[in-house]
Formats: sequence, C-alpha cells, structure tokens
Amino acid sequence: MRSTSIQVLCAAAIALLALSGCRGDQADTAADAARAAVTNGTGGSLKGDFGPPQGQPVNAILTSPPNVPPPTGRTKPAKVIVELNVVEKEMPISEGVSYTFWTFGGTVPGSFIRVRQGDTVQFHLRNMPDSKMPHNIDLHGVTGPGGGAASSFTAPGHVTRFTFKALNAGLFVYHCATAPVGMHIANGMYGLILVEPPEGMPPVDREYYVMQGDFYTSGKYREKGHQAFDMQKGIDENPTYVLFNGAEGALTGDNALKANTGENVRLYVGNGGPNLVSSFHVIGEIFDKVWFEGGTRFNENVQTTLIPSGGAAIMDFHLEVPGSYVLVDHSIFRAFNKGALAILKADGPERPDIYSGKEVDAMYIGDQANASNAPVAAAAVAAKAGALTVEDQVKAGQALFAGTCSTCHQANGEGMPGVFPPLAKSDFIAADPKRVASVITHGLQGPVTVNGKDYNSVMPPMAQLTDDEVANISTYVLNSWGNPGGRVTKEEAAAIRKGPGLSTTAAEH
Amino acid sequence: MKLPTFLACLLLAAAGSLAAAPAKAPPLPSDSVYQLPLKLTDQHGKSWDWRRKRGQPQLVSMFYSSCQYICPLIVESGKAVERALTPAQRARLGVMMISMDPARDTPATLARMARQRHIDDRRWSLASPAADDVRSVAGVLDVRYRQLSDGEFNHTSVLILLDADGRMLARTEKIGSDVDPAFVAKVRAAL
Amino acid sequence: MRLKFAIVLFTVPVAVALAAGGAAWVKLPGGSFRSALKYEDAATTRVAAFELQKRPVTNAEFLAFVQAHPQWRRGKAPPVLAEPRYLQHWAGPVELGAKAQPQQPVVNVSWFAAQAYCQAQDARLPTWSEWEYAAAADETRRDARKDPAWRERILGWYSRPSSGPLPRAGLQAANAYGVQDLHGLVWEWTDDFSSLLVDPESRNQGDPDKSKFCGAGALSMDDRDNYAVLMRVAMLSSLQARDTTANLGFRCARDIRK
Repeated sequence: MRSTSIQVLCAAAIALLALSGCRGDQADTAADAARAAVTNGTGGSLKGDFGPPQGQPVNAILTSPPNVPPPTGRTKPAKVIVELNVVEKEMPISEGVSYTFWTFGGTVPGSFIRVRQGDTVQFHLRNMPDSKMPHNIDLHGVTGPGGGAASSFTAPGHVTRFTFKALNAGLFVYHCATAPVGMHIANGMYGLILVEPPEGMPPVDREYYVMQGDFYTSGKYREKGHQAFDMQKGIDENPTYVLFNGAEGALTGDNALKANTGENVRLYVGNGGPNLVSSFHVIGEIFDKVWFEGGTRFNENVQTTLIPSGGAAIMDFHLEVPGSYVLVDHSIFRAFNKGALAILKADGPERPDIYSGKEVDAMYIGDQANASNAPVAAAAVAAKAGALTVEDQVKAGQALFAGTCSTCHQANGEGMPGVFPPLAKSDFIAADPKRVASVITHGLQGPVTVNGKDYNSVMPPMAQLTDDEVANISTYVLNSWGNPGGRVTKEEAAAIRKGPGLSTTAAEH
Repeated sequence: MKLPTFLACLLLAAAGSLAAAPAKAPPLPSDSVYQLPLKLTDQHGKSWDWRRKRGQPQLVSMFYSSCQYICPLIVESGKAVERALTPAQRARLGVMMISMDPARDTPATLARMARQRHIDDRRWSLASPAADDVRSVAGVLDVRYRQLSDGEFNHTSVLILLDADGRMLARTEKIGSDVDPAFVAKVRAAL
Repeated sequence: MRLKFAIVLFTVPVAVALAAGGAAWVKLPGGSFRSALKYEDAATTRVAAFELQKRPVTNAEFLAFVQAHPQWRRGKAPPVLAEPRYLQHWAGPVELGAKAQPQQPVVNVSWFAAQAYCQAQDARLPTWSEWEYAAAADETRRDARKDPAWRERILGWYSRPSSGPLPRAGLQAANAYGVQDLHGLVWEWTDDFSSLLVDPESRNQGDPDKSKFCGAGALSMDDRDNYAVLMRVAMLSSLQARDTTANLGFRCARDIRK
C-alpha cells in the first residue's frame, strides 16, 4: 500500500515538473508565435480553423444599431445559432419623408452579429410572410459560394438555413444579394458581422455601431411625402441622401451617441454603399487606433479613414474634452447637404489644459499692431488723470509714428528724396510748428520745398487718427531730429482739425 | 414510431395491397406525394397510378431518355445506391424513373433504354406520365426543367427517397457514381 | 349554426353571380418577341395566338370553385399540393369574411390550386412567355419595355410595402391588348414557373457551372434595365409549387378555339 502511494507521489511529482517545463515551453512558443504573426501575418483562413465546435450550441445575441453585442468571451470554437429576419417596412428617412425600406431585423443597418474566429455558425434566414420579395444574404465573413447567397434564397413566408465556419477574423459587411442587387442594397439591406480574433478585441469602455449608406429617391432631398426608389439615380451614382444608420437624425439630438470623458470609445463603422466610398472623420477627435478596412492590423493617429463601399473599419479613441463630436463623411457636401452627419456627445468636466475654448476676442488693428501700444495706453491714462507730460506724449507719439508715419517718412524722419519730404530738421516745420498737426489732419498736396528740395506728392489726411493721437504724434515730431520742440495738446489738435488747413501758397516760403 | 407498430402497419399495408381492396389500407398521409393522382405508363406498356407503388420505399427521379449529359448519370446514381445495399435491402427498394418527355419516351423507347443501360427490369420502373401531368409531378417532387427548342431539356437533377407511404425522406443533388453517404445512410434506415 | 347556414345560402348565389359575370377573356395575336431573359437556344421567342383572362381571378370566383370542388377547400387540400397558409386570409373554408373582399384578387393559393381552378374552367395557366408577352404592353403600345418612364412606374409598385390592403381587380386601365392588372397588383403563377432556371446567386451571370441545370448554365438577364421582369423571375424562381404567399395570385389562359 505504501509503495504504491510513493509511486503515485513520484509520478505526480514527475508530471508536475514535466508540466511546468511544458508551460515554460508554451510561453516561449506563444511569444514566438506573436513575433511570427507580426512579420508573417496571422495565417489567414488556413490557420483559422480551430477544429470542430465544442460545448453546447450558443444562441447569438443580435443587437439593433447603434448597440453592439458584448464580447463573446469564448476561448474555444463554438456552434453559434443566428436567426435573422427579413422585414420590409415603411419608415421615415427624413422628417416628413417616408420610404419603404427592406431590412434585416427591422432596422437599417441590420442587426449586429458577433462571433469568434473558428466558430461554426448555423444561419437561419427568415423572410416575413408579408414581404413582397424573395431575399438572400451574402456575409463577407463567409468562405463559400456567394458568401451564403446561393444557399439562402428565401421566398416570403419561408426560412432557409445554411452553416459556415468563420475562418478569418475581422469586421465584415453582410448584405442581400437578390437581383437587382443594387436596389436591394439601396433599400437598406446591409449590416455588420464581427468575427473576433481568437484573443478577443482589446477592452474599451464603449462600443457603438454606425453604418453609412447612400439612398436614391425620385423626389429631391427632403421633399415631403412617401418617396420611391429611383433606379436611374442609383445607376448614375447620384444619391439624394447619404446617411448614417438609415435616417436623418438617426444619431443626432436625443439619439446622439453618448460617452463620458476619460473613456475609450470604439466605433464599428460599416459602409453599405451601394455606391459611395466614405471619408470617415470625427470632428474634434483623432483616431488613436484604426483597424483600417476592418482587418487585423491597426494604424495610429489617423484623422480621416477611407471605408470602401461594402467595407468597414474599427476605430478607438480616448475622450478628454467634453462636447459634441460630429461624425461626418468628409466629402463634405454629403455631410451638410445630404445628411451624412451623426453626433457623439461626451459629458464630463472641462479640460482647459487640453482645450480652452475661446480666450480672446479683441480688435485687430493690422499694421498698427507692430508698435507696442503700452506708451499710448499710458498716455491715455495720464491724460485722463490730467497728468500728461511732454515725455508721455513724446513716447506715445513715437509708438504711433512707427507704422503709420514711418512707412513714408522713415523711422529717422529722413523721408525719401524726391518723393516724401523729410521731417528731420525741417525748415518747413521750423517756419510754423503748427503745420505738423495741420498736415496730419488735412493732408498736403501740391509743390512744396523742404530743406532746399522740391517735392510734389500727395499726402492723404490721416483721418483715422484721433485728436490725442494727432497731438502725441505732433509733439513727438516737434521734439525729434533737431526740430524746434514744443507740444500740441489734444484741444489744439481738435481746433486745427476744424480749421481750414494749409494752402499751397502758404506752403512756400 | 416503434418498430412493432411499424411492422404491423407494413403488414397491414401489404395485406391490403394483396387483397386488392384499397379501402382496407390506412388512409394516405396528407404529406405523401401520392396525394397527387398520377397515371404512368411504364416500359412494359402497362398503365397504373403511381399510388400502386405504395407499400415499398422508392428511389425516384426525373429524366428523359434522349439525354446525353446528366441523365445517364442519374441512372448511374441509382445503381450506385443499390450497390451500397445488401441484396436483402435491395429487394425491399423500388426505383421509379419518371420521364419529363412523354412524347418521345414511349414504352418501346423506355424498354430500349432499360436494355442499353442494363437496368434490372423487375425493380426499376421507367415510366412516362401524360403530357399535361409532367409539370404537376415535377412540382410535387420539386424538379425544375425547361424544354429547349430542339427538344432537349435543361433540368435540375435530384434523387429522392420516398418511404412506403410516399413521404419524402431525403433528397440529394449529388449525382454520379460517387454516392452521397448521408443519402445512402437514410436509404438504409428506411429499408 | 343557423346563422352559418344562412350565410352560406346567401354567399353561394352571390358568389355564383359574381363569378359568372366576371371572367372576361381577351384575344392576343401572338407573334415573335424578344424576351428579357437570355435563352441559349433561341434569340427570339414565338408566342402562338392565345386567350388570356382580362384580370386576375378574384376571391368570389375562387370561392365558387371550392364550393363545387370540395377537395380544394382549405383543410381538405393535402399539404403536398397546398402549404398550410393556403387561403389563410379567408374566414372559413367556404367563407370569405372581412379580410377577403369578393373582388380582390385571390391570393394565398398554390400552383396546384391555381392549375386545378383553370382546368375546371376548361383552361390552363399562361406560360411564362405568354405572360411576358402580354405584360410588355402599356396602355397604348404593345411593347413599352424600352420606355424608362414605364419601367419606373412598375418599379414604383415594389417601393410600396405589401402590408396595406389589396386593391380590387380590374381597377387599372387596360393595356394595348385589353388586359388589366398585369403589373402593380399581385405576382401571378405561370404554368412553367419552374422552368425559370435561375441561380439564386444571381451575381455570377455568365459563370459556366453547367452541371447545375443539366447541360446549361443558369438563365441570365438579357435586358438588365427591365427590373420589373427581373424581379418577377426572382420571385417565381424562389417558389415551390405548393407555396402560397399573400401577394401571389393568378389568371387563366386558353388556346384559341377553332
């Protein structure tokens, strides 16, 4: 008895050692496999068959848009039963506009299906008895003829069934493929099926389901009443509406998608077409990760991603700042004139460190902005206090001179020979200092001789200057570059402005 | 259905047919194809309602004798199924090949075809319906066909297993000498 | 019980009267015409002269038929010949009720039931070619199929859901042949609906899987603009002879009596 128990113990010990050794090996092989996957790919459908289904059959949870079923949480391949109805129903496509949609599961887009790579899916397609048309389904995640379409042609009031194994992971479009295919798709017969990678999608806080489609009606955009499908517009690829989730306002206002700042949000976005490619963008957000085309690899830091017609994409982004984020097709006339607009409303505390909102709304004075306006402001304060000194005026005048006067007369008052008379040591000014304020306010034209040189130009009146600006500039000029000095007050400037100005004859001396 | 009950029913049916008093047989199930009255004329020139085949499971298909393409394969498929059975099982199975071309498939033509294809005359019935009945029997068996302007036919090819009462047990579209194993299994189970 | 008896007594003569006054026949001249389907054996189809009922068979007419032929009453007709939804919109096996107005086209009938009705009238179901030939006409032209406006009008029917009540038969203007309601009312059985050998996977047209239909690939559409025909073909090819739907009725045809 004892010897057997010792034997058992030894065997157990050896087994344990072997197992731990195995686990160690397994860890190495897992790491190797991951590295191999990065360089060589995950192996596609050839490596996607994980064997026969195990355990009890599972009924797939189907959700209506914009909701997504929870992660499967499976680690082994299962048999999954999917029962999808086809319903033809009249619904609003825009306010006051109704349209007969053909739908999977009663919604446009149709119900979201979520399975795991390697699952065996038993698919039941049920066509409601009051349907007018037969329908079938092509799931892009199916490996097999027609994607299932050949095996699911269902007359009204019938159900068909076929089974497929999901060999490839990814986010796939499904749609009706009954002739005329364009019409069936244009009437809303599309949706998404997610085949999770074996390890599942990385966890996020919220997942939403959005699908773009183009719609073709005989009436114009927002023309009221019941609208019929227009085949010619479909052939011409000239849609009346381009919409997210089948109707204008499907995802705006009270129906907007909701999230909180600090959350990681994931969008599963499909494009049912039938014709247009989407330039999908969320205004105010950048996609931290995009599994472009719904495949296995992701790109990072993407602003706008292309979603082909009959294709899909997955994007993750983290929300920091509260507000309304607008989902658009950035072929922008579609967003604002055909309805391709949805809203994600993020709630949470403001983050002024990341986005402050509008901080300043002030006047912008163009060129005058070159000068520092501090002395001008100081002079204004002093004048108000009644304590304006010549120095204050000179400093203010200097700031104002730069940019307004210096453009022509130069910063050093030298002017331009033959064009603009100098102000520096000007005999014209010395003859009558009051001329400075007068020329500023009234302008000067006609022949004039300054410092022995003739000039015959036009100086326009500086009507944009206020009285104290004129006073300050005049005081500065009088006290610079060897001019006689003195000051001009605001009142004097005002009086000179009201006066007649200089005559050309008076300009000569 | 329990085996003793089934055997009892079979005995009763057999007794009924032997006595040639159809009123004694249990009523025809509502899902039996024999609910469609159908007069057939076979390769021996004998005419009978196909209800006569009640009492024995049947392998049924539709064909036409001048077919060069698939129809020879249909015959081969029938033979292949038989080959997969024991002699005892074979004896319990009837084969009914119904023509979609009664204009040309006269008893003489059918008899010639039986000879050429080495068909066992005792168990196989090659028969033509009346011209107006071809669509009906095709409808009941869910065979689709279209006659071309040269007299040939395009048609779906299927082997159907009927139970002794004419109810459809199985069908296969895998035609050829490679038998459909799932179909053969159902045939064995019915015999 | 007495009430039921009274109802039957009342409906029988009414139904007979309606049925007797109803079935009008139109002669069509036949000829050569181009089908919207591409048949591999012939470019044009020949349709011999024939007679077609002016409008689809109504509830009242079909009621008279099942009264005279009890084996075709709901509950009596075996499931292999008519699926469980056969005449489900009638209040009873020989009673129409509120949901089945006498002058509405009868629906929820299988091919076998339709065929039996026509045979009882000494007639038959029209062939697909006869139906297509008659349906190519609009009010003034015998072949309006190239007119996009006419095609859009027909397509408009598909855009309306079928959940509303069915209009009465005979309301539309007659076409150039004098036949009414070939479009926009109900799908209609044809005698050889099962000859529409169409691949349910309609997108691989031209794909040479010849073994599917014994020696030929599936039928493909020659005239891709003719969606009305395309959709009829799709509908009929999805059905089995015992099927019924709430939008599928029929009318009868017959050869010209000499």
